[in-house]
Amino acid sequence: MLIKIQLFIGTLSIILLIITFELIRKEKLREEYSLLWLFTGAVILVFSIWPEYFLSRFFSQITGIFYLSAVVLLAFMFLLLIVFHFSVVISRLTSQNKELAQRYALMELEFRELRNQRTRSKRTSNQSNGAIK
Amino acid sequence: MAIEKKVLVIIPAYNEEGAVGKVVESVKTYLPGADALVVNDGSSDRTPEKAEASGAIVLNLPFNLGIGGAMQSGYKYAFEKGYDVAVQVDGDGQHDPKEIPKLLKALEEKEVDMVIGSRFIGDSEFKSSMMRRVGISIFSKVISLIVRQKITDPTSGFRAANRKTIQLFTIHYPQDYPEPEALVLLHKSGHKMGEVPIMMSHRVAGESSITKLKSVYYMVKVLLAIFVDCFKKPTV
Repeated sequence: MLIKIQLFIGTLSIILLIITFELIRKEKLREEYSLLWLFTGAVILVFSIWPEYFLSRFFSQITGIFYLSAVVLLAFMFLLLIVFHFSVVISRLTSQNKELAQRYALMELEFRELRNQRTRSKRTSNQSNGAIK
Repeated sequence: MAIEKKVLVIIPAYNEEGAVGKVVESVKTYLPGADALVVNDGSSDRTPEKAEASGAIVLNLPFNLGIGGAMQSGYKYAFEKGYDVAVQVDGDGQHDPKEIPKLLKALEEKEVDMVIGSRFIGDSEFKSSMMRRVGISIFSKVISLIVRQKITDPTSGFRAANRKTIQLFTIHYPQDYPEPEALVLLHKSGHKMGEVPIMMSHRVAGESSITKLKSVYYMVKVLLAIFVDCFKKPTV
């Protein structure tokens, strides 16, 4: 039974690692996230290779949780960590987005005023030219 | 006023085509020396055109940022263009620009950094729903406790700020329901504030951003935000 779970989780972690590598290579994943996912994949892989040491003995002794539940718990904790990290990132992006929108609006107003000034001065200079002729 | 100060009236407007023109015109009437800036917070109606037609400077945000983001844009404009005083007036017409000189006078005489126009001091006869009054009185108690000074109308968006406060607001301004939170922010940064009685009419057009059902949610959210603010690092 244990070997099946080991194989399943081991394969999953390897797939995760391959996808992460591929995305980094194509520059579709920023380093700050890729590190997190590489770490996650590596940890899961280690657990699937030496489940006895890490889980049955070490982890179970502390928490009293058996292998599969321990894996689920760990996976859940990782996901929690990742989601938390994302909400921090989204907050930062939102505030940067706000700054950008405000700066854009201020520049656009400045630009409109400058353009109006230019057309006005052009018109007056045209008029005065006409008067000279 | 002995020295003529550069005054900017900031009017945030989101889909207020029915009221914004009148507000701007009345600002121009009662404060001929001041500039009116309408911050169009991504309106989908003809708010920017109406505002422009009535003689306001129009700042068009590319999309809706919410009242906090819109107000902050106004303060950023005021700071960059070197205004001495910024007055905020709602775009829906519930604040009477006739009362702005009162705010300006108080800002100078009381030597504070921000003046709030309060509906609940003196003989103002502001009528509103029971729930809203209860809500405002709870805010008033909480805010008064935090800023260690009696604030009767912390949710009033009818305010005047001096340059020191304008500068603070360009760096930090709360997002969703900024009025009560801004007071906590001012207090933490060591700015002084005061209140003057004003008359407030009911909105000319449009609907309040706070409906009855949402008001409880609004209260809990703002109280929570204020609670969190108390633990933030003081700024400036």
